[in-house]
Amino acid sequence: MMVEEKKPQSKPKMPLEGIRVIDVATFIAAPYAAGMMGEFGAEVLKVEHPLGGDPCRNFGSATKSGDTLAWLSEARNKKSVTVDLRNPEGAEIFKKLVAKADIVCENFRPGTLEKWGLGWKVLQEVNPSLVMLRVSGYGQTGPYRDRPGFARIAHAVGGLAYLAGMPRETPVTPGSTTLGDYLTGMYGVIGVLNALRYKEKTGKGQYIDAALFESVFRVTDEMAPAYAKFGTVRERTGAHNKIACPMGHFRTKDDKWVAFACTTDKLFAALAEAMGRPELASHGLYGEHDKRIAARHEVNEIVSQWCGALTRREVSDKCYATGAPYAPLNNVRDIYGNRQFVARRNLISVDDPEIGDTVVVPNTVPRLSKTPGQTKWLGPALGKHTDEVLRDLLGMSAKDIEGLRTRRVI
Amino acid sequence: MAQEKDQAKTQAQATGADSKAKEAKEENKSATDQQGDLPLDGIRVVDVGTFIAGPYASTIMGEFGAEVYHVEHPLSGDPFRRLGTPTDRDGDTLVWLSEARNKKSVTIDLRVPKGAELFKRLVAKADVCVESFRPGMLESWGLGWDELSKANPGLVMLRVTGYGQTGPHRNHAGFSHLAHAFGGLSYLSGFPGQTPVIPSSSPLGDYMSGLYGAIGVLMALRYKDLTGEGQYIDLASYEAVFRQLDEMASAYGMFGKIREREGSGTVIAVPHGHFQTKDGKWVAIACTNNKMFARLAEDAMGRPELAAENLYGLKTNRLARRDEVNALVSEWTGSLTRDALMEKCLAAQVPIGSLNSIADIFADPHFQARDDLIHLEEDGVGEVVIPGVFPKLSETPGRVTSLGPKLGQHTNEVLSDLLGLSASELSQLHQNKVI
Repeated sequence: MMVEEKKPQSKPKMPLEGIRVIDVATFIAAPYAAGMMGEFGAEVLKVEHPLGGDPCRNFGSATKSGDTLAWLSEARNKKSVTVDLRNPEGAEIFKKLVAKADIVCENFRPGTLEKWGLGWKVLQEVNPSLVMLRVSGYGQTGPYRDRPGFARIAHAVGGLAYLAGMPRETPVTPGSTTLGDYLTGMYGVIGVLNALRYKEKTGKGQYIDAALFESVFRVTDEMAPAYAKFGTVRERTGAHNKIACPMGHFRTKDDKWVAFACTTDKLFAALAEAMGRPELASHGLYGEHDKRIAARHEVNEIVSQWCGALTRREVSDKCYATGAPYAPLNNVRDIYGNRQFVARRNLISVDDPEIGDTVVVPNTVPRLSKTPGQTKWLGPALGKHTDEVLRDLLGMSAKDIEGLRTRRVI
Repeated sequence: MAQEKDQAKTQAQATGADSKAKEAKEENKSATDQQGDLPLDGIRVVDVGTFIAGPYASTIMGEFGAEVYHVEHPLSGDPFRRLGTPTDRDGDTLVWLSEARNKKSVTIDLRVPKGAELFKRLVAKADVCVESFRPGMLESWGLGWDELSKANPGLVMLRVTGYGQTGPHRNHAGFSHLAHAFGGLSYLSGFPGQTPVIPSSSPLGDYMSGLYGAIGVLMALRYKDLTGEGQYIDLASYEAVFRQLDEMASAYGMFGKIREREGSGTVIAVPHGHFQTKDGKWVAIACTNNKMFARLAEDAMGRPELAAENLYGLKTNRLARRDEVNALVSEWTGSLTRDALMEKCLAAQVPIGSLNSIADIFADPHFQARDDLIHLEEDGVGEVVIPGVFPKLSETPGRVTSLGPKLGQHTNEVLSDLLGLSASELSQLHQNKVI
């Protein structure tokens, strides 16, 4: 028993305990991948340029600390280490860090790291079992590889932007301008976790080539096979989907919005019951899917009138009572007041002594029963952990570190 | 292993009749090697989910080597088989064929005790179980987490629902379309003050859930490798949607800011949105900083005066005079064809992308160069083109060995090989409609 207790390595508490990640990427896509690894126990060293750091620090609403909320939220749990990779001395330090890491996440334009002598081949020599996540707009290969890429561009190229909006009108942003970044962050983690597993089985490292536009394209269900087989070019369908009816957005009396998704006849019957008009779901009328699709304008008009005569609260109560497939179109204020969000702790308040304020951020998704993710601290101040990491990990003296700082390498 | 069509053709043509057998042998060998060479090789997944959210997680696992059994109801199967455009093979839809790639179909009726018992035995031989019933449903059949983890103490179980296993809304019907609404994404899609539109595609939230689900499973599998302990993942589709909205929640918490619909642009930068071209097509332009705007004005538009500091050179000025800036850019994009516009912007290093329809995507050389579309032959359907495997791993790229299976195609194989059921037992179970 005594021996057990004295064992230096106790049972790990998190899936990625002991894994070290170097995140030299910017904005959200690859950093979100590193962020998720941090939530599940990895040590994440965020390597930034000594002047200004990751431009994500300026993305969105600024706080008293100067860093934005997006930074504070998405750089959670990370350590900030400043190293100028453009400086040969900085590149050497970076290589030493990589030698002590399991994973590197980057999102420079293809060829940039290579230009600084820090490409895959060099880093793999430094660390043969390295797993490297390379995120870019268009991938490491192909004719567009050198083009600048942002999520908005990826939404366009990958086919999502074309689908959002009213038919024949200006296509709109598909909800959020950073969606493609988050999607790519998720594909990135999946790539890294697979590669890590493979490395642990075989000792072999590898790199992951994730393109923003591909993450977007991958989530378009049957759009590609339907075009190949039937020549169907999918178009914008506005507030309503054509595959079911009613399946769209409706306005309520108090000028709020609600969504219905009657994907089956049973669910439409539940809505008809909520409306107090069960006869609408009869066989002679709109009881069958095909009939509703054929009479979609009539059906939508009836539902629209019903919603327009009630407050959202009333629609909600009636629908929840019969099990109709309903949801409110929540804005962020609705979300803060929603019992489900509260009950599931989807929002967490983190007290940040440096900003001198409490910041509310989204909690970890997904929720694991034994090892739920954790948010230990928010995005750190630029260079906050430089000295600590260079000293403890690379064994540098205070004098070495001071010299590097004077030469603006860190 | 199924081949990409073109590759298979080339190989067939290049091979003489005599050496064909030998080639085939070697091909099989390399296929076996390859199968033993993927990250999730040896992992067995029992997926009893429906539609996309849960099952897409197991699709990803299958692409990276896991063996995936899709357990379906013997009569109707996964209703996903009926979603979208049907094909000639039993009416199975294209999206089913694409997303049930690599899976084996095993029919078991979980609602009858004999079926529940078979399911439990199957789970006992698996590493991962994926489900997407409403909370309490599996429990009512005696197949909840407590029972299944007793049958398999190291089990990892992914539970995907609309609202999660807990909370006041847990029993409400959940669909991706509703998750977009509840999670806050639909409210943001469309023009300010106008009707919110569907944020591009109805199953978007399902895919997001599948991605988070796969991440949860991979994390839990790693923890199991380290400690031997299993666990379950409680994932709500609305959470998958809500998690992706950058600073929306924090900005309301700190400043009371309610994010609204921003049309085809964004409030944080300009020009940063969608613009129409002379030939009636659309492009996205994303000038996030002053340098990019200067390149747009000077090098692409040939109007350097626009980038002067007292005009639109500074972001603050551009944001204050957003409509003017957008009008100028629109007028310019409307005077050029999409091809000509793209050429000018790319030469000037201005971030631009074509708003591709699926027809554009099929014609795009970059999609072709990266093999983003793969072609497979399927009996009774013909050629099917589907999106490839993402992300691309250098040592162990994912695989697509087959399209979505026929209902019950692998029932006998799996139940006899894995659970040792005899032919007479199987026929009895078939007769009783248990499988």
